[in-house]
Amino acid sequence: MKPPRLRAAGVVPLVLAACALASASLAAQDSARWKAWPGSRPPRPLPASDMRFPPYEVRTLANGLRVIAVSQNEQPAVTLRLLVRAGSAQDPKGKAGLATLTASLLDQGTTTRTAEQIADTIDVVGGALGTGAGSDLSFISAVVMKDSFDLALDLLSEVARHPAFKDEEIARQREQLVSAMKVSAEDPDFLAGAVIDRLIYGFHPYGVPGSGTPESVAGLTRGDVARFHRDWFVPNNAILAIVGDLSPQEAFAGAERALGGWERRDVPVLAFPEPPPATRRVVVVDKPGAVQTEIRIGNVAIPRKHPDYLALDLAVRILGGEGSNRLQRVLRSERSLTYGAAADLQALKQAGGVVAETDTRSQATGEALRLAVEEFWKPIREPVGEWELANAKAYITGNYPLTLETPDQIALQVLNATFFELDLKELETFRGRVNAITVDDVQRVSRLYLQPSRLSVALVGDAGVISAQLRAVGFDAFEVVPIDQLDLLAVNFRRGSPQASNRQP
Amino acid sequence: MIFRTRRLLLTAPALALALAGLPWPLSAAVRPPKIPYQLTKLPNGLTVILSEDHSTPIVHLSVWYHVGSKDEPKGRTGFAHLFEHMMFKGSKNVEPEQHTSTISSIGGQVNAYTTEDTTVFWQTVPAQYLPLVLWLEADRMATLRIDEATFKSEREVVKEERRMRIESQPYGRLQEIIYDQAFTVHPYKHPIIGSMADLEAASVADVRDFYETYYVPENATLCLVGDFDAAQALELITRHFGPVPRAPRAVPRNIPREPPQTKERRLTIEEDWPLPAVVVAHHITYDGDPDAYPLHIASKILSDGQSSRIYRKLVYEDRIALAAFGQGHIIEHPNLFYAVAIVQPGRTPAEVAAALIAELDRLRDEPISARELQRAKNQFARDYIIGRESVQEKALHLSHAVVLHNGDITTADGEFDIFQGVTAADVQRVARTFFTPENRLVLTILPRGRGPGGVPGGQGGAQ
Repeated sequence: MKPPRLRAAGVVPLVLAACALASASLAAQDSARWKAWPGSRPPRPLPASDMRFPPYEVRTLANGLRVIAVSQNEQPAVTLRLLVRAGSAQDPKGKAGLATLTASLLDQGTTTRTAEQIADTIDVVGGALGTGAGSDLSFISAVVMKDSFDLALDLLSEVARHPAFKDEEIARQREQLVSAMKVSAEDPDFLAGAVIDRLIYGFHPYGVPGSGTPESVAGLTRGDVARFHRDWFVPNNAILAIVGDLSPQEAFAGAERALGGWERRDVPVLAFPEPPPATRRVVVVDKPGAVQTEIRIGNVAIPRKHPDYLALDLAVRILGGEGSNRLQRVLRSERSLTYGAAADLQALKQAGGVVAETDTRSQATGEALRLAVEEFWKPIREPVGEWELANAKAYITGNYPLTLETPDQIALQVLNATFFELDLKELETFRGRVNAITVDDVQRVSRLYLQPSRLSVALVGDAGVISAQLRAVGFDAFEVVPIDQLDLLAVNFRRGSPQASNRQP
Repeated sequence: MIFRTRRLLLTAPALALALAGLPWPLSAAVRPPKIPYQLTKLPNGLTVILSEDHSTPIVHLSVWYHVGSKDEPKGRTGFAHLFEHMMFKGSKNVEPEQHTSTISSIGGQVNAYTTEDTTVFWQTVPAQYLPLVLWLEADRMATLRIDEATFKSEREVVKEERRMRIESQPYGRLQEIIYDQAFTVHPYKHPIIGSMADLEAASVADVRDFYETYYVPENATLCLVGDFDAAQALELITRHFGPVPRAPRAVPRNIPREPPQTKERRLTIEEDWPLPAVVVAHHITYDGDPDAYPLHIASKILSDGQSSRIYRKLVYEDRIALAAFGQGHIIEHPNLFYAVAIVQPGRTPAEVAAALIAELDRLRDEPISARELQRAKNQFARDYIIGRESVQEKALHLSHAVVLHNGDITTADGEFDIFQGVTAADVQRVARTFFTPENRLVLTILPRGRGPGGVPGGQGGAQ
């Protein structure tokens, strides 16, 4: 259960995965301390108490705004999250970065308050307000102590409905975006992620960087921003979660008061192109002198609302997720090639992909790449072990109560399901559905969606050191792009070359 | 498996300046509830903190060892963190990596981190597995496996961690540059992850000695928060940890003191970074000192929210910085209060340094307004409240109080009232004490081999 993809957000805790090396270690084991310590086996668990999905309520206001309320009384705080169903995927052709720029401007002045007044209003009560955009959504979040609930709700309503988009603020945010891109343009982690997205999704909107490029952001106008806001920021295209120390009745009454007058309007209907079929393509972004190579490999897969989602999620977890991570075992535990290796199922609204990532010292790039690709083949060639699947399932089902600890976590799960238009009953039946997946299911979806012979590869590192290694492990055809020539919107990734786009007008 | 870095908040918006004349609530902040606890000590010296919380059927167990990178002698930097990795390599009854795989297979989360002062191991699991996690932690406290082959392979993993976090990311080396320049003899001078050369020089004999010296019950604090019965839990803890032997010798605490800085230092260096960075750092006091609380307030005034002073002046109004903040790193021994700014293309490091210094001077030369003080206190209340929602966060506050405030667990909640009692005069007093020119380090870090504004020499801008 991942939250909607928010590019701006979050640190994922890296939890190391399973493996017993079974090395007999004898060296330090002759001490008195060792000998005196009794031999023992893992103790039995205590009686377990069952955990059901905690209570929440959902209502839809007359104007179409969906409101989710989760109540808890442990800490005197309230969190508000408004999701609008439009993000960088809705950026018009040639306007990459528009959703990001629009979201960054929401709290930078409204028709009744300046940016400074908004900041002062939320800060002085000890609250926090944030805005941003992801690939399929824009968001406004606020957290306040319970006595400032009305203040936060009014402020959220105002920045969602009446942003001023003053030229001066647009210029300021654009400058920030472009300067931040100068930093990102030298960050191997960011670049590897952006290049693999392009390779997997092509010129489907998911292949284009959500923050845009310096050139695309330079071309965005006030008219673009205002149009994006007018088109998409309507109540029937939004979901609000109200979470914390107040009753559902108070939450719904507050939502009705502050947002009941927000006018419904039809939103545009966009036709998204299919991502291109999986194609073997290897791109090396050359960063001379790099001590490490960032590695991403992947191919196109399925969107979140797809019947194979849960089985593929398990397959990808076995490949490189929490609970059972083959990539981590091979690359870190067995070979010490990396600090971390993982695979992720990006199951988004319109499409999805499977992406594995790791980083390794430059001299080990070929070996790490070969080993990672090999792991894409294994679940196709032979079924995963029963115990391995059982472990992966046990992790997900056992982890269930840990994912429902705080009211915000609960609300995120309801928001997530609502955002992806899933049946909310799935929240309750989650563990049963996980447990029904079989070894055969995992092999079937691996064969359908892991395409090792057509994997795309993005590498950011020192091409002078990497190139010969790539050839030695069978990657004879690859493109090298100097880091300062990289253009994520160009067909061949190079500045000054043709830019293609199938994106919506 | 991770070391905790002092984060550079590149994207955190933060600014200052209150708007005069508007009405505002000056009510006292909402008081968060106190975290209940029991504090005991086993005969072998192990400190035990228990806090029942039955809201979700999970338990969080953490073990803090009071050893961090400041306990490392010169030439052995990075050792505490490297050792943290070794703690996952098995013990008498637990195979290498089994700790992690076992916790995963029950749906739990497990990790560890190393700071300058402490090494913390933690796991959160479904409540019925309490006996299992106690067994795992006790086994490695008593009998860690230490062998040459695992040590060498784990050292390679840590080197990759250093390459990834420090050497490959823009500004990844910023913290280690600041600390290397600011300190002369105190081990806060060196980075938590250590240097490549020292990692290479570490031996398996060092590992054994480190284990026997620091990984002993007297130097450990166990904290359990969550859905359990305290009497039953204490019985289980005593059963598993009671037999761990006492340390053969006292835990050494011979850490060199940093002599006071007596005159301002300014220097300029070059790094392979996209845009110039400017740092203004001052030596300050330690965590728990009465002067520390007004310094926390000063951090809020300078950098919490878009109305905070540094954000509003440097990023919003003058547009000279892409990102900027100033905050105290207030830990066990006297550390630093530092302000950092990334210089906007077209602006100069000199004007940014002057602007940061002006904001620190302003705290010294005039009292903060009543409104700003109230804002900072409300922000503190918010941090207190939303920072105590999970069992992990509760354990963090309780353990931190015991380990870093000389066993005074009452500070876990009591600090709330201390903060609410801080006055504008207190903030000005500590600013006068610490934000002096002779106690200042001004660092300018320019992109290597590039023109001003971070653009590679001879080329136009990115646009």
